[in-house]
Amino acid sequence: MTEKGSSMAAKGSAPEAEDSGPAVLEARVRRRVHSGLTVEAEFRTGSEIVVLFGRSGAGKSTLLRLIAGLERPDAGLVRLRGRTLFDGDRRQVEPLRTRGIGMIFQHDLLFPHLDAAANIRFGLTGWERRRADDRLAEVAALCGVSHLLGRRPATLSGGERQRVGLARALAPRPGLLLCDEPFSALDLEGRDALVDRLRLLHRAEGVPVLYVTHSPTEAIALGDRLLLIESGRVIADGPPLDVLASRSGMGLVGVRNVLRGVVAGHEGGSSRVAIDGGPELVVPRVDQPEGTAVVVSIRADDILLALGPVAGLSARNVLPGVVERLVPHGGEAEVVVGSGRVRWIVSVVAEAVSALALQPGVSVRMIIKARSCRVAAEDQPFAP
Amino acid sequence: MVETIGPLWLSIRVAAMATAAIVLVGLPTAIVLARGRFPGKGVLAGLLTLPLVLPPTVLGYGLLVLLGRRGPLGAVLERVVGGVPVFHWTGLVIASSVAAFPLFLLPARGAIEAVDPALEDAARLLGRREWAVLARVTLPLSWRGMLAGAFLAFTRALGDFGASLMVAGDIPGRTRTAAMAIYDAVEAGDPATAARLSAMIAAVAVGVLVAVQRTPASRGAGPT
Repeated sequence: MTEKGSSMAAKGSAPEAEDSGPAVLEARVRRRVHSGLTVEAEFRTGSEIVVLFGRSGAGKSTLLRLIAGLERPDAGLVRLRGRTLFDGDRRQVEPLRTRGIGMIFQHDLLFPHLDAAANIRFGLTGWERRRADDRLAEVAALCGVSHLLGRRPATLSGGERQRVGLARALAPRPGLLLCDEPFSALDLEGRDALVDRLRLLHRAEGVPVLYVTHSPTEAIALGDRLLLIESGRVIADGPPLDVLASRSGMGLVGVRNVLRGVVAGHEGGSSRVAIDGGPELVVPRVDQPEGTAVVVSIRADDILLALGPVAGLSARNVLPGVVERLVPHGGEAEVVVGSGRVRWIVSVVAEAVSALALQPGVSVRMIIKARSCRVAAEDQPFAP
Repeated sequence: MVETIGPLWLSIRVAAMATAAIVLVGLPTAIVLARGRFPGKGVLAGLLTLPLVLPPTVLGYGLLVLLGRRGPLGAVLERVVGGVPVFHWTGLVIASSVAAFPLFLLPARGAIEAVDPALEDAARLLGRREWAVLARVTLPLSWRGMLAGAFLAFTRALGDFGASLMVAGDIPGRTRTAAMAIYDAVEAGDPATAARLSAMIAAVAVGVLVAVQRTPASRGAGPT
C-alpha cells in the first residue's frame, strides 16, 4: 500500500466534487487479480452519479465488485455512510446480505424461475405485506415495468429485463446503486432510454450511483463526475467532459466526438445524418436505410475552427457554435464548443487559441470534412 | 413354482425406501460437493462414486464385512439396536442404497453446479440468508436434474442383485426380490415365471422413465 493511502486524514485532500456533501462511499482497496493486474484505488463519492470509465481490462468492474463484496480486497477499507463494509486491518468483512447495496449487471441476472413481480419483491422479505406491495408498485412504475409484472424473464426483451433488474435492485432502498456496464448488451435506442431513466431514478430515489462503462457517450450523458481508471488505478477525476478532454482521457477516446443521429438521406457518394439536437452532417455514403439510428464519430483534431463566415471551401460541413470552455494542456488545447444542444470537443494547437483569441463566449464556425465523419450502427467508441 | 407378486412388491418397496434414503443423504452431499471448497474434496467425490465402478458383489461383500455381527459397524448396531441388517430386508435397503447412490449424486451435483453462482450472489445482495438462497434460487433452478437423478437411482435400486444378495441373502418371502426371483425361476427350470417377472419389472422401470420425460419443464429452470 502506498503511504498516500495510509491514513484517513490524507484522504481529505483527495480531489472531490465540490458539492457532493458528506461522503457516501469511502473506498481504499487493493487487490491483485489473476491477470496479474493490481487494482489499487482510493476515492470518496457523494450522492451524485459517479462514472468509472476506462478501457476493457482496466480494472473498473473489479473495483465495483470489491465494493459490492463480490470479491474480497487483499487490503483496504470500504465504508458506506459511515458503516464499515470491509476493513483489511481488522479482518472485518460485512456479509453481502447486510451491505445495503443494490447492483445491476451486464447480464441481467434475473431469477429465471420467477416472474418480474417476484424478482422485484425478492429483496423485500421482512417488509410488511402492504408496504411491500406499495413499494413494488412504486419502483415498477419508476422503472416502467408495471405492465410486465406477470411475465417471466425469458419472455422479456433485453431492455425490459434490465429495467426489471433495476427495479429489483432499487426496491429495498439500497444505500448505493452499483451498475456494471448494465446497458452494454442493448441496442443503442434501448441504451439511451435506460440512461435517461437512470438519471431520473437517481433524482427520484436519491440513491447514489456508481456506474461502470467504457462508452464515452454514456459517461457524458450520465455522469456528474468521472473517475478515469487505467491499469487498476484512478488516474483522473472530475467532470466527465473535462476528464475525457484531458491529456489522460485523450488516449482512451482519442478525443472523439461521439454523436447519435439518424440517417436522413443519401446523395451520390454521401449520406446525411441528422444529429440528435443538432444539425445535419454530410458523411461518407452509408448502407443503412433512412431512419436508422447511427453513431457518428469525429476526431477532435479533425475539426477546424474559423471565426468569420467561410466560403469557397471543399469541406461539406460548416457548423456555427459558441466556445464554452477551454481545456489547455501542453502545446494544445481542447475547446468545448456548444452548437444547438450538442457540445463538441475540438483540439487545436495553443498558438491557435491566441491567434483566434478563443475564449468562452466567442462565436466560431466548425469545419468538418465529410471524410472525417465515421458512421457506425453500433456504439464503437474505440474503433480506429 | 417361484412366487412373482411378493418379490416384485418387495423390490418396489425397497427401491422406494432406498431412493428416499439416497435423496436425504445425497442432497446435502451434492450441495457440499458443488459449492463447498475444502481440502480432500476430490478424494471424497471419488470415494462416493466408487459403488459405480466396483462389481456389485464386491460392494455387497464389503457391506457384509462392515455390517456383520463381528464387523466394525455391525458390532455397534448389535449393541445399540440389538441386531444387524444382515439377512434382513433392511439389508436390502442398505445394499441397494449404496449401489444406487452415485446415480443420484452425480446428476444432482451437476444440476447444482449448472446454477450460475452469480445468481446466488444477486440473491445475497438482496438481503437473503444462505438457506433462503438455497431454497429460493439454487434448488428451484436445479430440481429437475435432481429428480432425474432420483429416478435413475430408483431404477438402479429396483434391479439390484449382487450387492443385495450378498448382504441380505435370498430368503423366500423375506428377502427374495424380483431380481433374485428371476434368477431362481431360471435355475428351477421355470422360464415362464422368469419371463413374467422380467416383463413386470421392466414395465415398472420404463414407467418411471416415461414419468421423468413427462416432468413439466415450464417451472424448471434450465439455462435458456
